[in-house]
Amino acid sequence: MSVPDFECRLKKYRLLKDLTQEQLAAQVGVRRETIMRLEKAQYNPSLKLAIHISRVVGAPIEEIFVFK
Amino acid sequence: MIISGILITLYILYLFALLVKAISVKKEKERTSQSARAVDPRLGFLGFMGFAGFLGFWTYSIDKTIFPFIFFMFFGFFGFFYEGKMSHTFMDERYRENKLKAHMTANKTAFAIIFFALLILGQGKLMGNLEYTLIALIIVIALSIALEIFLGEYLLYCYDNDEQFEESEE
Repeated sequence: MSVPDFECRLKKYRLLKDLTQEQLAAQVGVRRETIMRLEKAQYNPSLKLAIHISRVVGAPIEEIFVFK
Repeated sequence: MIISGILITLYILYLFALLVKAISVKKEKERTSQSARAVDPRLGFLGFMGFAGFLGFWTYSIDKTIFPFIFFMFFGFFGFFYEGKMSHTFMDERYRENKLKAHMTANKTAFAIIFFALLILGQGKLMGNLEYTLIALIIVIALSIALEIFLGEYLLYCYDNDEQFEESEE
């Protein structure tokens, strides 16, 4: 289920906030597997989830999810 | 006679209303639920009841009974093996998306099989015998329904667990 020309920099911002995948998943209301696939750019999140993640890690959406 | 007929009709309508209400309550519960329903994977063994469908060939040869062929539908219960593995899974947006995709693929596959079977068998000439055509149709429809039930759960499990070996906290 990979998304072509899609880069996700979530891991970088998550580590900057010193969050584990599990903690981030709990905060945004998804499973750890979903965060893992997001970080590998294997899952295209909904706008709602993207905004939620952006708020939790404190970075703009367009910097976390980069569509080339 | 008329009164008893009316009472029976009212009773049937009451049962129907209860059924509709129970279905709507179940749907609402599913919609608002946060985790997948709990199913014992051992229910998957019910799938072996599908083999009872082969009894139809025997009963047909004895007294032309074709009823046992519908038991082929029970093969679909093998899907409980996979649904059981997904019990209590937290249903986030990715899970719901995968579920929708899995059930759509299963529906499309079953529909395509039934469509082509009807197209071919509906001519009634394939086997030169209407009874054989009816039996073939029942078998195809029963197996398609079984496939639809099984495939929905199996594909959901596959979509949700792909690349499981790579899952690690990095």
